[in-house]
Amino acid sequence: MGGCVSGDLKGGKQAIGGALQRPTEAPNDSGLNDAVDFFYRSRGLHALYAQIELALSASKLLDRDITSKSDPMAVVYIKKKDGKLEEIGRTEVILNNLNPSWIEKIRLAYQFEIVQPLAFHIYDVDTKYHNLPVKSLKLEDQQFLGEATCVLSEIATKQNHSLTLNLHNKNGHEALRNLGTLTIHAEEIVASRTAIELTFRCSNLDNKDVFSLSDPFLRISRIVETGGSIPICKSEVVNNNLNPLWRPLHLSMQQFGSKDNPLVIECFDFNSNGNHVLIGKLQKSVAELEKLHREGSGANFISPSHRGHEKVLKGQLFVDRFVERDQHSFLDYISSGFELNFMVAVDFTASNGNPRNPDSLHYIDPSGCLNSYQRAIMEVGEVIQFYDSDRRFPAWGFGGRTPAGTISHCFNLNGSPSGFEVEGIEGIMAAYETGLRNVALAGPTLFGQVINTAAQVAGQSLSDNNNKYFVLLIITDGVLTDLQETKDALVKASDLPLSILIVGVGGADFTQMEILDADHGCRLESSTGRVATRDIVQFVPMREVHSGQLSAVQALLEELPGQFLSYVRSRDIKPFARHGT
Amino acid sequence: MDSAPRTLEITVLSAENLRLDGKSVKKDAFVVVKFDSLISKSTKADHEGGSNPSWNQKLEMDMPIHARFIVLEVQCKIGSGNRVIGTAMVPVSDFFGGYTPVNYLHFLSYRLRDARGVKNGIINVSVKVKGLAVSGKNLPHYQISSSSSSSRPTWGLPAVEKNYPGGVVTGVPVWCASRA
Repeated sequence: MGGCVSGDLKGGKQAIGGALQRPTEAPNDSGLNDAVDFFYRSRGLHALYAQIELALSASKLLDRDITSKSDPMAVVYIKKKDGKLEEIGRTEVILNNLNPSWIEKIRLAYQFEIVQPLAFHIYDVDTKYHNLPVKSLKLEDQQFLGEATCVLSEIATKQNHSLTLNLHNKNGHEALRNLGTLTIHAEEIVASRTAIELTFRCSNLDNKDVFSLSDPFLRISRIVETGGSIPICKSEVVNNNLNPLWRPLHLSMQQFGSKDNPLVIECFDFNSNGNHVLIGKLQKSVAELEKLHREGSGANFISPSHRGHEKVLKGQLFVDRFVERDQHSFLDYISSGFELNFMVAVDFTASNGNPRNPDSLHYIDPSGCLNSYQRAIMEVGEVIQFYDSDRRFPAWGFGGRTPAGTISHCFNLNGSPSGFEVEGIEGIMAAYETGLRNVALAGPTLFGQVINTAAQVAGQSLSDNNNKYFVLLIITDGVLTDLQETKDALVKASDLPLSILIVGVGGADFTQMEILDADHGCRLESSTGRVATRDIVQFVPMREVHSGQLSAVQALLEELPGQFLSYVRSRDIKPFARHGT
Repeated sequence: MDSAPRTLEITVLSAENLRLDGKSVKKDAFVVVKFDSLISKSTKADHEGGSNPSWNQKLEMDMPIHARFIVLEVQCKIGSGNRVIGTAMVPVSDFFGGYTPVNYLHFLSYRLRDARGVKNGIINVSVKVKGLAVSGKNLPHYQISSSSSSSRPTWGLPAVEKNYPGGVVTGVPVWCASRA
């Protein structure tokens, strides 16, 4: 997700759930990973899982802050077979609120056949961290407020898909004090076909501040069948203005349900102590908002009822812009003629171990048992063959000493002086074995040249057409010798139709790779001051695939649709029109 | 890199995390895009954006023949004057002369640094090289194909980076071992 963007003056004033920071940011409506879905369906596995998102809210949380209330954030984990917790997502931080209703949703796949134990931890985030992106917050530095556990099927199988749990201390001990409750609501994710861009404006809002004017912001919620409402987004805060105009909000159908679903739009006056005062609210569906825009008319806010009477207020809501866009999915592009082209690069550094030694990651077993690299190529190959129709794969090696006697950080795996392409997965396997016979393992581990070569292939293809997207798979055993060199190459490649999947084999500590996969908040920066246009890296540790905790398909394809869409959407590239069949 | 003057379409998109005097910028940030002190254009100020302003404003500028950088300067209107918040230099080689097609739309982002060289936010722009500049007159037109065979000679750059007042240089181009 986005870069190190800070909120405005104090955290909590920025928009959540509906704002796109940059055109090249990966869209959040690609919730349904249709690349994974399509792959499974092709094998008849579609009945086995559903993609869902969880909406969280809590009540009566413990008050940890001295001068104000707690600033809670929720973190969701899945409990793995060995008992360890793996984080799958976190909400935003809500300021000064002991009964928060978080807007950010957590997505995961609900697999019907297996037990999925979940854990929820609530933290109070210290004020000094309020301006940082949520993903970069270190949990050890925050104050723990309580936790709850359950199994995903418990939530999904309830009639209203909602479960309320009591929060308790770590290790499940009952607390001396009441720690409050957590409510989890699950909903299936549907392919978001439509996205709406709305620009809201208000006039004549009531003044709720004493020494200045109100600081209004909007919060939009969707009403669910059970009668409650789930917040879907909030605008940024406009300071000191009773006739505010907010930045455009982008909503996907996943967020608002259908155009006729009633939405509750509340206008609050922001207060830094968290006690936002409700100025007024109204209820309109997306279709009704479209009508307001067309007619140029405003809708009056209703004041919260006291003494049973609701007052119609002078303040009005206008929809200055209403743009409906067809959101094409990843599959729409692929099925219309976009091609995915895979390229492979194999690590020939000495850290893999002497290939003649059975302990080596590169040991070719005469009995036919595949080594880590061969397994990675086969498993990854299953996926890439599915999506790459021409089956011609550029294949390179790096970090080895070629027959010419020099160490190369990008040599043709098939040993050919002219062409670097091989045919099919069998071609990659054959070239790999040829490489092992002719190239001596050396080092150091440097990705820069391979990335630059792949970037050149991707860049040059643009002169012929723009319907190709490239994916470079780097299969490596370890730790980079020069992280900055790799960052420089990645930054230069970040504006091209290219994604880079780093597959880690063996048991090394791959923390460095996680830095490159910029999920933790910060955009990569080159040594010359250029910043990556978008996140193009994804890292997959094979040992997690082999231990069954992660399917190779899901691991490899997890970020690809988002990275692909961030490229095509920022350039307004649409799927090609179908020629008559 | 060919030395015919080109028109650039620079869209100043947004900036992130701007600070001034140790505090987040509150409002009225704008960007000055320049090749040197003589050729510059500014965006409008963003009144509401605070420390994360967005402009989405397209500026068309003729790129001088031997330009090597575009300078992006983020400033803020404070009182009656302007303060420079941060500057970034965009190498022309980041969008011209590489292996992408000439008219490719480049989305680029750069680290801003303040007057003391301290990091101060990020600026996001997009750049597209359009056709030859209209004011090109009859300048000789050296064309290099944009596919990169690294054995081609690259055109050199003058040792002194001054703004040519429009005169034509004839003669043998200088071989330069590295691309700028």
